[in-house]
Amino acid sequence: MLNETYDVLIIGSGHAGGMAAKILSEYGIRCLMLNAGPVADVAHDAEKKPAFEVPYRGFRPPGRIDHVFQSNGFNANVWVDEREVPYTFEENQPYNWVRVRLFGGRSLFWSRQSFRLSDYEFKAKSHDGFGEDWPISHADLAPYYSRVEGIFRVTGAMDGPPQLPNGNFILDDAPWTSALRRFIDVAKPRGIPVCKQRSAQGRDGLASSVNLLLPDAEKTGKLTSIANAVVREITVDKNTGIPNGCNFVDRLTHREMSVKARVVVLAAGTLESTRLLLNSNLANSSGLVGRYLMDQVYGPGVLASVPEARRNANLNAVMGSSSIVPRFRNIDKKSDKFLRGYALNTTAATGAVAARNFAAYGVELQRKMDEYYGSGFHMTVMGEVLGRYENHVRIDKDRKDAWGIPVLHVDTKYTDNEFNMAKDAVETACELADAAGFEVLSKNDKPNPPGYSIHEVGTCRMGNDPKKSVLNKFSQSHDHKNLFVVDGAQFTSAGWQNPTMTILSLSMRASEYLAGEMLRQNI
Amino acid sequence: MRRRDFVRSVLAVGAAPRLLLSQQAATPAAPPPAPVPWLLGLTEKTPIPQVEAADQVAAAQLRFFTPRQMATMTRLSDVLMPPMGEKPGAVQAQTPQFLDFLIGDSPDMRKQVYREGLDWLDAEAKKKFNVEFAKLSDVEADALLKPWLRTWMNDHPPEEKHADFINIAHDDIRTATVNSKAWFAAPQVGAEPRTEEELYWSPIEPDISPEKADCASVPPHVQAVPKADHPMPSYPR
Repeated sequence: MLNETYDVLIIGSGHAGGMAAKILSEYGIRCLMLNAGPVADVAHDAEKKPAFEVPYRGFRPPGRIDHVFQSNGFNANVWVDEREVPYTFEENQPYNWVRVRLFGGRSLFWSRQSFRLSDYEFKAKSHDGFGEDWPISHADLAPYYSRVEGIFRVTGAMDGPPQLPNGNFILDDAPWTSALRRFIDVAKPRGIPVCKQRSAQGRDGLASSVNLLLPDAEKTGKLTSIANAVVREITVDKNTGIPNGCNFVDRLTHREMSVKARVVVLAAGTLESTRLLLNSNLANSSGLVGRYLMDQVYGPGVLASVPEARRNANLNAVMGSSSIVPRFRNIDKKSDKFLRGYALNTTAATGAVAARNFAAYGVELQRKMDEYYGSGFHMTVMGEVLGRYENHVRIDKDRKDAWGIPVLHVDTKYTDNEFNMAKDAVETACELADAAGFEVLSKNDKPNPPGYSIHEVGTCRMGNDPKKSVLNKFSQSHDHKNLFVVDGAQFTSAGWQNPTMTILSLSMRASEYLAGEMLRQNI
Repeated sequence: MRRRDFVRSVLAVGAAPRLLLSQQAATPAAPPPAPVPWLLGLTEKTPIPQVEAADQVAAAQLRFFTPRQMATMTRLSDVLMPPMGEKPGAVQAQTPQFLDFLIGDSPDMRKQVYREGLDWLDAEAKKKFNVEFAKLSDVEADALLKPWLRTWMNDHPPEEKHADFINIAHDDIRTATVNSKAWFAAPQVGAEPRTEEELYWSPIEPDISPEKADCASVPPHVQAVPKADHPMPSYPR
């Protein structure tokens, strides 16, 4: 087995890498998967505990993961430690890079919202003139979306307008609760669609690469995987300059290793795949590797209270549903304040309303919290961030990570388009809440720092023109036909949607194309 | 001594008494295997010792707040989260001591919010009531604090000076108190907040490499010594 040349080297084991491994190995192609971190075994590595038995009483341990707002004292050890793998940014332009290096990556912890992009995203430039169109349309990706939705067991209703294409759903035909009906009644006359939430059920409570994709690949006997393999660079053939494998370093022992493969598939997550290309000096004839970093505006939102839910013995008839309000701005008529649009996640929650929603303390606060219990109506914003050339990442030559690999410098910021969009979203959400007779308790129109959504995409965008894009429509490098990037890096525009279904579908499509080309011996 | 010779001599030492024994006793007990495997017997049946969190038992050394700031912090905690029903207040839950530790370990920005906030609060008490904050009555403290309370969303505390400190501290005091063992142990009534109980992830195969940036200055445990200075016999590894 030593010095064997594998058919395909897959770097990364999350949704993108897991899907590539499944598809390629099912074609009989021999794959080697490298993952930078260890295998997590919940039976050994995790245990239910009360906050006073964990470090810092459940608070985020200071100084290690300050840019992971999602972290707390319980999950602190699953994220990448910022001291071990640092990244840099200008002080006034913070970036929240949220990373998981466990086997399966962030697919272990995602929120499972499962949306398709529509042609308002794929053909965004044709619609409003900004940016570039993707080289594919919804019709090209639709068959793959359907298969992915089947594997991930996505629940939803066939209620989407054109900007939210319907899919291969486990049908959600539960009636709306009365709070949501009130919300729909005021949204509809304003031309604002309200749809059933769409969510991946997965199996046994998990919708991850490790339980839905990798077992299929392992069953073929064609997949070999290595954990704790931190890839240093992609190697190239000395004579031809063609990628032929990689050098990696063992995370624990720092032993330097090399592997050879006929094809390299990058699936390390948007910014790690891009960092690897930049550190390897590859696939960058366009000069665009690292350019057009995008994500989604998260943080703005409104919390209202549904009056009839307070002290209501029949709470489940009033509260409990959740909905997705897909983008409604700049569909039929043009907004003069911003391009593109945002979605609202709305949830009629049955639990406690957090203390910060009341300007009170002590006994008075507890009385308020008792009264408002079970009446919280959450509206949170997911806004599209435009792809701009100047929002980019590059290698920081002065900093190295724990294995001596140069780190990434992130240079990105939101513009008036994003800020205006956030303001409009919060104004609109407040208007809807008022109209529905809900009491607005708190609101915020300031976005969290870029990256917070964990939906970072772009930096190796796909396109038909090799001068204006890094990858072609099959996620294949314009420069090297045996090099693919199958994660979020390939996005041409971000959309407002959670990108997971699109990443999975693109990886599936690229992998089938690659398998076909390998079987025809074109690669 | 070569390793093989060493092993042979160990075996010889073990064999000699056994030879003697066999001449004296008819049924000698089987000798323990030598050398004794260290970890033999550590199994899933091994009892797990019961331990307490240190701050349930021991007093924390205060390192961050000045005594004056600590007095202000303690009064603030008591006002914002007094004992209610059977639940302990922030002071009973040792929250001021815990925050001395948490904030003292935190980034400078958070330290600054607390230091300046506590000093400002004390100065305000002096200005308005001519007494330090720690000695204010509930009514006086309410008059000072209430105007600064705001409603806000997660991750976005007020940015306005003074309101930032009051609201951040209020949130931290509540979390630290609700997450204390004292709160957990007291009976739960109605919609009172519950101590967070979640899946805690231990460090998963943590990186132990000496080259890691924050332990690069620690010398390795075993250092090679130049041969000439070191006359003891060495053995091949």
